[in-house]
Amino acid sequence: MEYLLIFISAIFVNNIVLSQFLGICPFLGVSKKISTAAGMGIAVTFVLVISVLVTYALQMWVLNPLGLEYLQTILFILVIAGLVQMLETILKKVSPSLYQALGIFLPLITTNCCILGVSILVANGTYNAQGLEPSLLSGVFYALATAIGFAVALIVFAGIREQLDTVRIPKPMQGMSIALVTAGLLAMAFMGFSGVDHGIAQALGH
Amino acid sequence: MKKLESNRLNMAVVLTAIAVAAAGLLGWVNGFTQEPIAQKSAQTVSDGIKSVIIGDRDIEFNVAPAQERNGFVFHKVTDAAGRTLGTAVESTDPNGFGGNLKIMVGFDTEGEILGYKVLEHNETPGLGAQADEWFRQSGKTGRASGSKLSDLIFGVPVSTGNHNIIGMNPAEDVMSVSGDGGQIDAITASTITSRAFLRAVNAAFKELFGYTAADAVSGASY
Amino acid sequence: MNYFKTITDGIFKGNPTFVLLLGMCPTLATTSSALNGLGMGVSTMFVLICSNAFISLLKNLIPDGVRIPCYIVVIASFVTILQMVMQAYLPELYRTLGIFIPLIVVNCIILGRAEAFAAKNNVLASLCDGLGTGLGFTLALTLLGLIRELLGKGTFFGAEVLPSTGNMLLFVLAPGAFITLGLFIAAVNSFKNKKA
Repeated sequence: MEYLLIFISAIFVNNIVLSQFLGICPFLGVSKKISTAAGMGIAVTFVLVISVLVTYALQMWVLNPLGLEYLQTILFILVIAGLVQMLETILKKVSPSLYQALGIFLPLITTNCCILGVSILVANGTYNAQGLEPSLLSGVFYALATAIGFAVALIVFAGIREQLDTVRIPKPMQGMSIALVTAGLLAMAFMGFSGVDHGIAQALGH
Repeated sequence: MKKLESNRLNMAVVLTAIAVAAAGLLGWVNGFTQEPIAQKSAQTVSDGIKSVIIGDRDIEFNVAPAQERNGFVFHKVTDAAGRTLGTAVESTDPNGFGGNLKIMVGFDTEGEILGYKVLEHNETPGLGAQADEWFRQSGKTGRASGSKLSDLIFGVPVSTGNHNIIGMNPAEDVMSVSGDGGQIDAITASTITSRAFLRAVNAAFKELFGYTAADAVSGASY
Repeated sequence: MNYFKTITDGIFKGNPTFVLLLGMCPTLATTSSALNGLGMGVSTMFVLICSNAFISLLKNLIPDGVRIPCYIVVIASFVTILQMVMQAYLPELYRTLGIFIPLIVVNCIILGRAEAFAAKNNVLASLCDGLGTGLGFTLALTLLGLIRELLGKGTFFGAEVLPSTGNMLLFVLAPGAFITLGLFIAAVNSFKNKKA
């Protein structure tokens, strides 16, 4: 049951992009077309889940026992960069068609702060586990839900931006400016979900 | 000086050298920041305990070693003669605005609230953070509830805006926001934060004493 | 090389936030008040200056093939130093900025300046570039924080200046971040268009 709550909370209530402000660069950068947005969403989901698995294992079995917690940032970013490289190579060999679809997004993902951000949140146990003890399972679940939340926000936003192409926008507001204002309105819509997580918890008798 | 060539040996050596140098540098910095960091965090906890139990009183007190139970942390405080002054409880609610809301709340032996402190929140800075002060002030003009349309039409006396929880006792007072049938006015425009805060207080009390007045009303719905 | 011009370029013509549109995550997330914006700006500036200087110093030692990983290690080291020092001496600010301090590592401004400037110029020029870009970023963040705080809470660096009845809470919340920055960029664009 808590897992359902983690899902709803991470996708709608505390959406990673629209309320936590992580992963804004790809959100603004690759949201001009729904098809590319969907590709980016899938690539992020893939990389995020794998890097949370790996970084959590490193934190629990390497950094914590050795008392090297202070190397977290540097190790995590290197691991993520390496993982992305590896994924690219493997994908190229194993599934050229998937590589064709996702390949161009992979290099962009290294500097996507939602990957490093979520990895740190899960490794430190400071993510919203809905009352569960932070663990590998709930952490990976949280990562998956977060990535889906990212994909949902990205695809919805791309849909709106495709519509924007057909209207005339005042010159100074063209490009990034109108995109940001649109994102603001979308964030406002997502604010309507606040409190829903607790309401569901109550309805289910928690 | 000429740029090093990108052959395999050079690349491996340089990357390793930089990584090792970086790790060494960090270890060195860690060596002399470790102690202040540990001190600061221990001090935050001990300052918190003092402020939620002792407040401004000028008395000697001792804090028993912390006990952990079901995710709550208890710090029992005794005076110089060994009598219990109260217990400071660290309590976390997962459904604050934007995630966890962690507070420390102090109860005396009867369960009366002596003080509280917000330890950690993911609220909008400056908004949900109002909880730091809100629940220890009595409202002055009742801005929040006095401006309701229904109050104007039906002539309901304007509430004085009660949101001071100090001195309340969760065993006797229903500690939830007024919109949910409780006695406490929520922070203006931050109902979610207020609910999470009061849930954390109630949960801390329940873990310490076993029951709350809110149980009788709503059938333990938090 | 005109050092003074390198600095002013970073602040105005190449302002990372309003002109280059880089480093959006911290820009949106930490500008709910002027003080938070200033804190984030200065933190980023520290890392930017140090990493620029170091990368420029090491530029001939680093083979092109492993350039990016090396830059990342250098940047991550300074971020970690910043983390430790802040935790030790400014725990309040560290708590407020939270996850966005370690995330300075993936701020595209820093890697961008390393690649575009520090890898090609001498140490002093790179220092100036870091200082200028950092100042530009700090200025932008503080300005945004100032406006959001004033409209949303009626305060100026925490001091009450407007009556609380006129507060538009929206501006300190997430949507306000997007909208304020969007309108700011529109204003900068229209200013640029007029000049051109």
